[in-house]
Formats: sequence, structure tokens, C-alpha cells
Amino acid sequence: MKSAFAKRESRSGYVFAGPAALFMLALVFYPMAYGIFISTQKTNLIDDWEFVGGKYYLQLITDAAFLGTLGKTGLFAALVVIGNMVVGLLLAAIVNQKIPLANFFKVILMLPWLFPEVVVALIWKWIFSPLFGLLNHFLFTFDLIETETDILGKDSTALAGVVFVCIWKGYPIVMLMMMAGMKNIPQERYEAAAIDGANKWQQFRHVTLPGLKPIILVAVILETAWWFKHFTIIWLMTAGGPAGKTEVISIEVYLQAFTNFNFGRAAAESVIILVILMAVSFIYSRVLRDESE
Amino acid sequence: MSNKKSNELVTRIASYSILIFMTALIFIPILWIISTSLKSEDAIWDTPIEVIPSDPTLYNFKNLWSTHPFLQYLQNSLIVVCSATFISVCVSTFAGYGISRFNFRGRGAYMAFLLATQLFPSIMLLIPYYKIFMTFGLIDNISALIITYVSFTIPFCTWMMRGYFAGISKDLDQAASIDGAGRIKVFTSVILPIAWPGVAATAIYAFIAGWNEYLFALSFINTDTKKTVSLGIGQLIGEYRILWGEVMAGALYALVPMVIIFIFFNRYMVSGLSAGAVKE
Repeated sequence: MKSAFAKRESRSGYVFAGPAALFMLALVFYPMAYGIFISTQKTNLIDDWEFVGGKYYLQLITDAAFLGTLGKTGLFAALVVIGNMVVGLLLAAIVNQKIPLANFFKVILMLPWLFPEVVVALIWKWIFSPLFGLLNHFLFTFDLIETETDILGKDSTALAGVVFVCIWKGYPIVMLMMMAGMKNIPQERYEAAAIDGANKWQQFRHVTLPGLKPIILVAVILETAWWFKHFTIIWLMTAGGPAGKTEVISIEVYLQAFTNFNFGRAAAESVIILVILMAVSFIYSRVLRDESE
Repeated sequence: MSNKKSNELVTRIASYSILIFMTALIFIPILWIISTSLKSEDAIWDTPIEVIPSDPTLYNFKNLWSTHPFLQYLQNSLIVVCSATFISVCVSTFAGYGISRFNFRGRGAYMAFLLATQLFPSIMLLIPYYKIFMTFGLIDNISALIITYVSFTIPFCTWMMRGYFAGISKDLDQAASIDGAGRIKVFTSVILPIAWPGVAATAIYAFIAGWNEYLFALSFINTDTKKTVSLGIGQLIGEYRILWGEVMAGALYALVPMVIIFIFFNRYMVSGLSAGAVKE
């Protein structure tokens, strides 16, 4: 009797989940496998296919320029993720207090999330523009600079400029996740902490943060995966420049494929990104799990 | 006691200072887009900078329509994004219900795969897709973008819907099936009507994701009349001379659907997204 029920359960599961599973097989799983195949070929994707095995992988892991690109991407992603986590958590904690206008600010603070990445890149490129850009104007007005600075054109500031813009765009999603997580922390814990004489900061440190640990883990993993492969904002603001200072891995893959038509190598590079992301999320989940034990 | 009070006061002052600072950081760019888009090409270069244009003009908005097929971009984006959203949401709603209610073999692996797709660099699909679309003659065809956007959004949408269904009591399903309704009937006539806010939130998510997409449009579309809005305005800064007034007018056009969504659906967005994010 039970097994008949289980069978029916199982069949219903397949009926409901089946179509999505087929889509995933055809649109994600198959292309990925095909991408791995392409990474072993020297090919123009049309009529010239030559099996080269792991040649591109070997080439890549011994290529200083490629390793440099990985390093730059890691730095970019780390800065953006840390920035998003700090800003997102802080703002979530602030609007989560029972203070006047909290709901109003919640809505305002969400706005950058709605901005298409292309639009974000364009606005900030204009604000950063050395010719009549708003930022330069502002810096001039307060006598902070003497000549125009080209934030995105200077080696020393280009990465910082791009990171700032990506945090501006990216923190709301973290804030949203943290706000949702805070709702699940029982109010009694705060009351108990308050009775023990904990101030707001101590409550945040000893009640909120530990309570948010699982959602922080999810957020950090997703954020890392999103920003490590980020393309649009950087491409439109600097196109990887100046002198490759902001050339992250996605830009490298894009150029390798569509400028150099070196599809095999580009495919191998994207497989390497996947391996890195899997390794990073594995390490994160280990570290955070060990800490909570 | 007074110490505690002054502590509260400090927290409150600090909180509002940060909120006001952030609000400024968000609104200055928004006002700056509007201000620039309303200026003539000469007024943009005026010093000192005029924040409120003394001689506002809609020239940029009109000129953009005549120099670029902007209406066509808009139409392309709407076709691509609405189709992809529709397909994704239909499929994901069923799948989300399936994994939240039934225990079937492969369920765990399926869920793990859905989560793992978030780690897959989308750029990893770029080259294989390029080849596949080439084979089927879909390069420079907007159906290629529909397929691509469906592949991006199904995993996240399924995850969101699963979170939403997990919050709906299973007793409801049981009560309905005791009344003799079949599984599909229970789903369509009892569960789906109350899951509507979750479906709306998921659809909004899929729409925003598609509307924002740039890399794949850039790689697969060449002809001007087949471009999407993101691609269309993105190309404005690749041009020989950047006309900031027009660029900002274009940015405002791209923002219109987002503003509409925000005004009407803002409540669904937050609740739906958080349900999907938190429930594990």
C-alpha cells in the first residue's frame, strides 16, 4: 500500500519537475558539456576542428598574463563582494530598527538594483568623465584637485572606480537577503541580550550576525560567483583598460573568442572559471561550517 | 540610565546620517541623468555646471529616435524578454511545486544542480551557444536571445517558486485531494490561485534579468534593427563622439519599464525574492 503511494508520489514529482529538467538538460547541461569538448579543440567553429587535448589548459596555467588576469579578477571580485556585504549588512541592520521612515528608506535603498547594468555604467562613466564630469566639477569646487583627473583612465584609480560603481549597483540584493534573514531571528534573543545590558552594537555582533550565518554563507557564495564572472559594467566603462588594469576574465574570454577567434582557448578559460568558482564555494562552505561548530 | 539614552541617541544620529548619505549617493546620479538629458549639446559643456537646465529641451529624446531605431530596440527587447519570462515562469512554477511537494528519485541531485547553475559562469555557455546557434542559423536572430534568457532564468525562478510553495501549508493539498481532486487539479485550482504573488515576483525577477542582459546580445546580434535596448544604448558610448545628452536620454528610456514595475509590483518583489532566498 505504502509503496503504491510512494510510486504515485514519485510519478507526480516527475510530471511537475520534468519539463524544467528537460530544459535544463538541453539548454544548460548539454552546452556545458559541449563547451568542455570545444576547449580540447583548435577550431574556428565552422569547418576546422583539430583535437589538441589539454594543450590550452597547459598553455593557460603557465601563461603569466593569464594568471595576472585571474589575479585581477580575484581582487575585483573580492573588493566588490566585501563592499556589498558590508554595505548591505549595515543598511539592513539600520532599516531593520524600529525607527521613523525606515520603510521609506527601504524603498529608496533598493533603487540601484532596478537600474540595468548598462545604464549604471553609462551614468557613472559620465559622472567620472574628465571633461565636464560631475565628480571633477565637485572636486574642483572644494579645491581637492588642481587639474582634471580621469578616474577611469588612470592606472592607479581605474579599478577602484569600477569597484565603486559595482558596489553601488550590487549592495541592494545583499541588503534584501539580510533583511529577510533578520526577520527569522526570534525577537526574544534581542530582549534577552538587552536585559543583559548589551547595547545596539553588541546586539548586532552577538545576536544578529550569528543568526544570519547561514544566509551570509549563501550570499557570499552567490555574490562571488556573480562578480567573478562580471562583464557588462567593466566592459562599458573601461573595456578592460587602461593598459589592461581592469581586464577581468570575462573580458579576456570575450576578446579571445570574438576578436582573436581563438574559440578553443576561450572555452578552456571559461572552464577554468567554473573550476575556480566551485573550489571557492567549497572552501567557503567548509570555513563557515567549521566556525559555527 | 542616561548613559543608555545617550547611546540610543548616538545610534540614531549615526543611522540617519548613513541613510541620508546613501540617499544622496543614489539620487545624485538619477538627477544628473535627468538634468543632462534635458540639456542641449552646448549647455552640457557650460561652466559653471547647471544642475537645473535653464533652457530645458526634449531635443535629445527626439533625436535619439531619428538617429537610432529606438522603437525597434524597444520592441525587440519586449518580445525577447516577455517570451523568455513566460516560458521560464510556466516551467519553473510547475517544477517549484514538484520539488516542494513530492519525494522522487533524483530530487536531491536536481536541486543541487539548480543551485550549482548559479556558479556556472554564464560566459561558459557563450561559446557553445554561439556554435549551436550558428548551426541552426540563429545568429543575429532574436530567438537566440529568448533561448539564452530562458536558460539563465529557469534555475533561479524554480528556486524562488520552491521557496514560495514551501511556505504554503501541505494541509491544503491534502484537503483538496481528499475531495477527490487529482494532483494537477489540486495544483491548478487550489494552490496556484494563492501562489499568485510568488509567481508575480518570479516573473518580475525573470523580466529584470532579461531586460538587463548585455553580453549575449552583444555577442549574437549584429544588425541594428535586431538589437535590444541594453545593446542599443550600450553602443552609444562606443561611438566616435559621445553625445552625453542622447546617452542619458537613452538611459531614461531603458529605465521606463523598471520604474513601471517598481511602482506597481514593489511589494511582490521584496517578499517573493526573500522567500526564495531564505527557505532552504
